Amino acid sequence: MSVIPTTGTAAFEPLAETAESISDSRPSQLLTKEDCLEIFNQLYLARYFDIRLIKEKKRGRLRGTLYSSHNQEAILVGALFGLKSTDWISPIHRDMPAFFLKDSKFQWDDPTRSGMSIEEVCAQVWGKVGSPGRARDNWSHIGSKSKRIIHSTSMLAGTIPVAAGVVYADRMNGGDAVVLTFNGEGSTAQGIFHEAVNFAAVHKLPVVTIVENNQWAYGTPVHLGCPTPDVADRAHGYGIPGLVADGQDVFDVYDKVMAAVEHARSGKGPSIVECKTFRAYGHGDHDDDRAMKYRPNDQIEAGRTRDPIAICRQSLIERGFLSGAEAEQYIAERKSASEATNDDFPPAVVDYLNRGIEFALNSPLPDAEEGAMWVFKENA
Amino acid sequence: MAAVAAEPTLVKKNYLTALREALIEEMRRNDQMICQGEDIGMLGGAFGVTEGLLEEFGSTRVIDAPIAEAAIIGTAVGMALNGKTVMAEMQFIDFISCGFDQIVNMMATYHYRTAGEVNLPVVVRGPAGGYGGGALYHSQMNEAWFCHSPGLRVVVPSTPYDAKGLLKAALRDGNPCIFFEIKELYRKNEIAEVLPDEDYIVPLGQAVVRKEGTDITFVSYGQSVYHCMSAAAELEKLGVSAEVIDIRTLVPLDEETIYKSLAKTNRVVVVNEAPMTCGFAGEIVARIANNAFNLLDAPPARVTRLDTPVPWVKPLELHVLPSVEKIVRVALQTAKY
Repeated sequence: MSVIPTTGTAAFEPLAETAESISDSRPSQLLTKEDCLEIFNQLYLARYFDIRLIKEKKRGRLRGTLYSSHNQEAILVGALFGLKSTDWISPIHRDMPAFFLKDSKFQWDDPTRSGMSIEEVCAQVWGKVGSPGRARDNWSHIGSKSKRIIHSTSMLAGTIPVAAGVVYADRMNGGDAVVLTFNGEGSTAQGIFHEAVNFAAVHKLPVVTIVENNQWAYGTPVHLGCPTPDVADRAHGYGIPGLVADGQDVFDVYDKVMAAVEHARSGKGPSIVECKTFRAYGHGDHDDDRAMKYRPNDQIEAGRTRDPIAICRQSLIERGFLSGAEAEQYIAERKSASEATNDDFPPAVVDYLNRGIEFALNSPLPDAEEGAMWVFKENA
Repeated sequence: MAAVAAEPTLVKKNYLTALREALIEEMRRNDQMICQGEDIGMLGGAFGVTEGLLEEFGSTRVIDAPIAEAAIIGTAVGMALNGKTVMAEMQFIDFISCGFDQIVNMMATYHYRTAGEVNLPVVVRGPAGGYGGGALYHSQMNEAWFCHSPGLRVVVPSTPYDAKGLLKAALRDGNPCIFFEIKELYRKNEIAEVLPDEDYIVPLGQAVVRKEGTDITFVSYGQSVYHCMSAAAELEKLGVSAEVIDIRTLVPLDEETIYKSLAKTNRVVVVNEAPMTCGFAGEIVARIANNAFNLLDAPPARVTRLDTPVPWVKPLELHVLPSVEKIVRVALQTAKY
């Protein structure tokens, strides 16, 4: 008996719909007051982490390059908030907060959650042995199989095929995990982006490709890397949905990503969610000064105007979740690292990061000999 | 009629059949194993190595991949990260360059980057080697690229017994492996042999002496082993006794077998069909020079491809690749030194 299928060899049943426009519902409207306040706090946490690291770097305490996520926090918080603990993510260099935000809803300190502790992330930033990878590769190049975080390399779209393979295996095991891959708009020009999204589309794999379109791939503007009006238009070539979200509005990101995640989880396949944003600083901290020159001033001004913390605050006020003095308690928005102080952030956020940094400072450097270890799994 | 006792099967099997049996047996043994590659399912592979796999194991475990080598490797890494063992076929090993970043930066470094949290049982295998008129993009031996990327096993079997045993060992090893199959040997009847009925592996990192000798040592692998054997037969007529070592795996390399032979012969010629510059023959010569200099009575020599691509037309191809004549000539120089 032949098992050769007559309608192609896609491993999982293809469904009738492919490129239909997916849900335009607003799941964010169903979030409770507590959920919304948690999201608001997570934005502060992501912002504070970034600002604090910039300060530490300027004081010469950190090694390596810092890729600021300032102004792009709504993408990380909004995309991650609705995930299940069995879901996977693959963050990139500008997404350091994603490591501790994953699966953190109301449980920042739960060691069993499917995300990294702030201690682990800080140990990585400080290059200490308490890092998940024992500080063998730098900054965002960490991950955890048990926490379902894929380890990236510097070849940015290179994690997308890995993500596709991870969920292929999960489907084979009968799981319903979805993977969110984070990418800049620049890396969508890479060949591996096409190969991987194509593979995911052929097999209807639950891969949601988040494109953080911050307008600049290092020193190259988006129109020199992508010929279509929206990067999400690339989805047409794969017969999959391509959504565009306002990357400054955490609730819009949440809505679009949740629609894509439900689409993926129900077996309908991958999608691309482009989140429009703007890179506040240079590509890395080494590039901050030049980035103020190669980018037009009016673009920088306009790009920084719509601060995700301010937009979230306004939404919460409109929904009656924040009022009066409560709403004006912590004004972190539109402040650079040198302008912001601890008083601009909720104490719980400051304390949380302080605990991580204290752990990192007390964690030893790895032994030099470790540099030659773990090239191979030894089977002897 | 009385029942006839079961006879052991004495059917000789070729190199390709040995590989195919290894895949089928490992797929049966390990239900967490996946095979993927271009045309490996419905067609059964360009050369037929994967014939019958789709029918037996189904399209979830035997994937006809898009023409996208980087995605084939990258998704294999993801599957292995999530608990699977993966065989990823390159239709020709020449095409592996399209998946290079995923191999050397993503796959090879994963265990290192994660301080051992993640290991990837992925075997990337494909047909390699010249002498078949395959021209520039169907003739390469590019093993040195991968020996130069820490974290990869590199294996080049030369016999059906080794092909089967080494492929099984590689699939069970737990480390990523680049597995070079010599396509000119796939259906070569002269090297077909009876294989054991029972399960066996050939451990990685063990060289084998194919022919014993006392005057000079050939160190080789893959198709070049047969050229060395022919050269040894020629040399025998000239009164020179050559020993032939087949290293079988380049990473890890069994140096002891080489030095043991050199203690006896004191002379060595390393033969492979890759270009000379930065090739693995040079690596073997360097290690001998570093570790066994006192055993040498003559400079260690190399016979390799010229530093050229592999051309198409036969006289050109034979001109740039090692030949028995070239090996004999260099061996005589080394023997007389």
